[in-house]
Amino acid sequence: MKTIPPPCPEPESGQKYWRSMDQLADTPEFRQWLEREFPAGASEFTDPVSRRNFVKIMSASFLLGGLGSLGSGCRRPEEKILPFGKTPEGYIHGVPQFFATAMPTRGGAIPLLVKSHENRPTKIEGNPEHPDSNGSTDAFAQASILGLYDPDRAQRYTQAGNTISKEKAIDTLTVLGRNIGGARGARTAFVLEESSSPSRHRLLTALQFKFPQAKWVVYEPVDLNANRRITGGAPYIKLDQASVILSLDCDFVGSEADTYRLIRGYAKGRKTEKATDKMNRLYSVEGLFTLTGISADHRLRVPTSQVVAVAAAIAAKLAPQNAQITSLAARLPLPAGVDAKWVEECANDLKANAGASVIMAGHRQPAAVHVIANLLNAALGNNGKTVFFSEIPQATVNSDLASIARDLTSGQIDTLVILGGNPALSAPADLKWSDAQGKAKNVIRLGQYEDETFAASPATTLSVPQNHYLESWGDARTSDGTLVPIQPLLAPLFDGLTELDVLALLGDLEVKKSYDIVRETFRAFAGAGNVEEAWKKFLHDGYLPGPAPKGNDAPLGGDVIVRAFSTINPAVPTKESLEVVFHRDLKVDDGRGSNNGWLQEFPDPITKVVWDNVVLISRKTSEELGVKNGDVVELELGGNKIRGPIWVQPGFADNSLGLALGYGRQKTKAGGAGRIAHNIGLYNAYALRTSTGLNFAVGAKLTKTGETHVVATTQEHGSMEGRPIVREANKEQYEKAPAFAKNFDLESPGHSAHIKKEMVGMPPVERPAAIYEHPYTGYEKRGGQAGVTVKSVLASDLHQWGMSIDLSSCVGCGSCVLACQSENNVPIVGKDQVIRNREMHWLRIDRYYSGAAMKMASHLIDDPQAVFQPMLCQHCENAPCESVCPVNATVHDEEGLNVMAYNRCVGTRYCSNNCPYKVRRFNFFDYNKRSLDQLKGPYYGSPLTTSKDGELNVLRWWKNPDAGTRPDDEWDLLKLIKNPDVSVRMRGVMEKCTFCVQRIEQAKIGQKVKAGMSGDVQLKEKDGTVPKVACQQACPAEAIVFGNLLDPNSRVSQLKKNERDYDVLGFLDTRPRLTYMARIRNPNPKMPDYKDIETPKNLKEYMNTQGSPFETHGHASNEGHGAAVHAEKKGAH
Amino acid sequence: MSAIFPKWTSRLPLILIVGGFLTSTSVVGGLWYYFTPKYTRVGYQPVQPVGFPHSVHVDQLGMDCRYCHSDVEKSWYSNVPAATTCMNCHNQVLKDDSRLALVRESAASGKPIPWVQVHKVPDYVYFNHSVHVARGVSCVKCHGEINKMVEVQHSKPLSMTFCLDCHRNPELNIRPNDKVTQLDWVFDADPHAAADKQLKFGNAAVKDWKVNASQNCSACHR
Repeated sequence: MKTIPPPCPEPESGQKYWRSMDQLADTPEFRQWLEREFPAGASEFTDPVSRRNFVKIMSASFLLGGLGSLGSGCRRPEEKILPFGKTPEGYIHGVPQFFATAMPTRGGAIPLLVKSHENRPTKIEGNPEHPDSNGSTDAFAQASILGLYDPDRAQRYTQAGNTISKEKAIDTLTVLGRNIGGARGARTAFVLEESSSPSRHRLLTALQFKFPQAKWVVYEPVDLNANRRITGGAPYIKLDQASVILSLDCDFVGSEADTYRLIRGYAKGRKTEKATDKMNRLYSVEGLFTLTGISADHRLRVPTSQVVAVAAAIAAKLAPQNAQITSLAARLPLPAGVDAKWVEECANDLKANAGASVIMAGHRQPAAVHVIANLLNAALGNNGKTVFFSEIPQATVNSDLASIARDLTSGQIDTLVILGGNPALSAPADLKWSDAQGKAKNVIRLGQYEDETFAASPATTLSVPQNHYLESWGDARTSDGTLVPIQPLLAPLFDGLTELDVLALLGDLEVKKSYDIVRETFRAFAGAGNVEEAWKKFLHDGYLPGPAPKGNDAPLGGDVIVRAFSTINPAVPTKESLEVVFHRDLKVDDGRGSNNGWLQEFPDPITKVVWDNVVLISRKTSEELGVKNGDVVELELGGNKIRGPIWVQPGFADNSLGLALGYGRQKTKAGGAGRIAHNIGLYNAYALRTSTGLNFAVGAKLTKTGETHVVATTQEHGSMEGRPIVREANKEQYEKAPAFAKNFDLESPGHSAHIKKEMVGMPPVERPAAIYEHPYTGYEKRGGQAGVTVKSVLASDLHQWGMSIDLSSCVGCGSCVLACQSENNVPIVGKDQVIRNREMHWLRIDRYYSGAAMKMASHLIDDPQAVFQPMLCQHCENAPCESVCPVNATVHDEEGLNVMAYNRCVGTRYCSNNCPYKVRRFNFFDYNKRSLDQLKGPYYGSPLTTSKDGELNVLRWWKNPDAGTRPDDEWDLLKLIKNPDVSVRMRGVMEKCTFCVQRIEQAKIGQKVKAGMSGDVQLKEKDGTVPKVACQQACPAEAIVFGNLLDPNSRVSQLKKNERDYDVLGFLDTRPRLTYMARIRNPNPKMPDYKDIETPKNLKEYMNTQGSPFETHGHASNEGHGAAVHAEKKGAH
Repeated sequence: MSAIFPKWTSRLPLILIVGGFLTSTSVVGGLWYYFTPKYTRVGYQPVQPVGFPHSVHVDQLGMDCRYCHSDVEKSWYSNVPAATTCMNCHNQVLKDDSRLALVRESAASGKPIPWVQVHKVPDYVYFNHSVHVARGVSCVKCHGEINKMVEVQHSKPLSMTFCLDCHRNPELNIRPNDKVTQLDWVFDADPHAAADKQLKFGNAAVKDWKVNASQNCSACHR
């Protein structure tokens, strides 16, 4: 029987959610995209070769295949067991080990706990014991493990282009070091990366003493420590202490440093247990549409170069007595379109929360903005309350990259030492770094790749492969000053060296091994006592507490303020003279992640673009310039030119363009990008970036080229037709109608609140019998007599798993997406396959824009709000996928998981068709073993199509069956990253989120082993035996909570009792085990842009009978609905 | 009228019927035998690089399984011991025996002995030794009477139905977990009494230990 879902009318008014510009415009292409389950070509055969021919050839090959298998027999091949000759102490085969280490970042570190299976690291997790970590990470840390196993890493020592042995390289380094020492460092320059390592600091000090005349530079293309460099103090911000936050272009949940802890602090202030709880409030002034802007309660959209004017205006209101600020504010008029009331009310709010507010300046902003932020934090009394200053000693530098480039060009530097980084790619274009580097007589280069810097001076370079941090000894300090160890998880795969090794060799120091260097540094930190024991504890715990950050910073010197304020004179961008903003990409960072396939395929949290970079532009500017999505345009700035595809970004500042760094890299014979990074993205933004405009520049011209470029995006996949998928309200509305989220429910059988009531022993709600009664559905099942319920014998009474995701605290950073990919062996598919909707992520983050009431397609919105919603398998109790599987490959288990047996799956894809949430993923190819050519190829069709060189794919296969798969040596390396506890899926099977069933089963097994001959087999949250699933563990915001619904005290049971709890598409009676908590915004009613959140449009008809969810909780005639809410209230009191 | 078909063609139907019957029987029979789970590996007995008679070590000398397979209670994997474990005794016993040359060499050099794998479940099956041993499933249930074997032989099919048979009736297959490695141990010398006691013990254990031998896909396939 066909059941028709309730109609979802699209009325003309109300809150409108949209996922893309195309949807808003409702183009025919978008309608077609929506209505198709699989995109063009996936569901029908459109090859030029006829179906008949195809069947002919394929049947012949099946016959041959059949004959072949008879010959080889059905026996399994003989396999060997190779035990140790001598077992290492404490080693148990099959039990993973965890090591505490840290990932060094620019001037900081992320404390980690890395899982190692049989001595190969397989998963990165945060170190929850670290005093400033909750065990979460950021997306870069999750993906960094793939960088370890990257086959494109530098694997050899070279001198003048010839491969040399490691011993020879070390000898050469020692000799060069002695020569430098002999000349007391004259005519020598060192280019370093930012680092918080005390060991490196110690070695640098020693080397600077030995080479007093050498030049030292720390260069980072994206300088996340701008504030420290400008104002002298390293701010350490406790966002959880702040009630009001003002971000001046500071994307602290996305592209700034330390997001893993800033998100945690911010999210803490966003969580509410009940409507009257306090929430923090975030004001954001920015040009790009950043994650922080999306989270903000009030967002002011001004071009990046104009942020300083707004900052000055706010400062003038807050510190009218400061003449320097008031004169600056008088000099800089507010940008056009900025409401003076916005500034005033924002300032008032900050003032009202003096001491509990914080003002943060972003790294892209000029010195003036940082100075203003520091002055205001001091003026408001925030220092010591929300703002602290940590003392992490910085490398002493005596030069900068520009003067090194000048000296190189004029021949004043003979020896150039480049330790890490990739200046030939990332140096400002006006330095012409590659040419300059070529002029040095000797170049010593430590790098993880044979990249652009390697290729810049092939004849003079001594190239040393750099160890990945997971194979290095080192140390670092997290931003709170805590010392963390970097310890190797495995011996260096390619036998490289670390930065400490090279520095020690060059300095001809007595202690040359990085392990010994780090230990020696540690001795100074450990103080008196047993150093050996302290060292062991340090490595075991993964941290050594340092001095707590101080509350007060040395006041800013007057000259710093004067210099910062006097130099600021922002030009106003116009459409003839556009502003260009160079931003750190949320996928590939500044280019360091560009050879990482996970990061390339990680959808940009905002644009959802993969495998590409785009020219971001606002709707208005794009219309004025006559360009649309995908148009390739030429940008000219200061004589440099690049070409890139246009991407219209709602919420982007007018007359401004956003350019992502780190793309457009090429692989050449001499070196350059790796094979993944090669040719990804049309443009290399560094080509446009000069010393005068490192972060943004005004004066760019845009011309159309007439060409177009296909940009792959996951944006429109699985759109949900505007139902109340995401539910949100303003704080005031929430206080008025706390149960609003439930009241949003369309009329649904039994309402959405059924799970918890039965789970936690509340009276069951009457509901109509489902059409398809699943054997495992009922914890209570109807017995013979009416109203008598009996427990289903098939459901476990120990555990029933469930999850809750708090949309209020989710900021959309994407750590969970990569954590899931790493934990569950999720492959990447390549750009071509993403265009065909075939991406494999089990967990996606849906991003919906929303705007005020408006008519479809009549005009677009430039200041939208946006919301994020992590979307994964909902583990419906009444799972629509299960009822359509012809082979029972997807069924329920007794603990409420919707499980997927890969070996049973025959690939009909019915389940995916029937899944209302569109969370099932199909392996169209053997993605894990696809060769890079196929992964990156522009097109891969059927066996009967030709690829680039004109050869039929089937012929190519006939000649060499392995040609399409990864070469063995590459595969040997890449399979090391696979989690052995999860099957690697082959072609032709469906897969999806399993709630990390491997972790659940392991936890259960662990408990049963402990229980032995007793009945103590239940996992209990209070004992810490309930496992954390991968996404939950990685989430810095703690927005994802997983646990046992049968335990009334578990966090997840508590959250499901919360009045904000709702389920998505509840009216389909799928009864999902994953429910969401409605998002609450906390806008300031006094602000000019304050507006109520309206109900979703499609509720209109429902509201005619039920009333508004914000005013009433529904009509009495709806028994299920009313009963649910009443029961809910009873439970809450 | 001359015959169009030669005379033997009149026997053709019979030949076809009989031939067809024989062919199909042999094909079906062959496949039946070859592909049935019972056949899969049962009887597989490869020659090992070092002849290790379990019968001597376990039955005659009374060694416990866990002396060598020491991780069986801690890991999903029951380890094959390192050569140094063998040398704990064999540096005294049979210390110059030529049959142990490989073991001595391995212990000295650290080079592994290439044992041939006998028992194996497919890669998509996540079998865990530790939980079975802890919850009273004896080694003998899956590995047969290893204690009597001179050369290890695959004696149980280890097919999915084999696993499920036990998971469906755990009460018939569990024993006190301190008797797990005593392969000869029985509830009673008398088979009938043993069966009764097994059932009684099993039912009680299933209840008291909350044994839930899961038959869900997720129990073994992840």
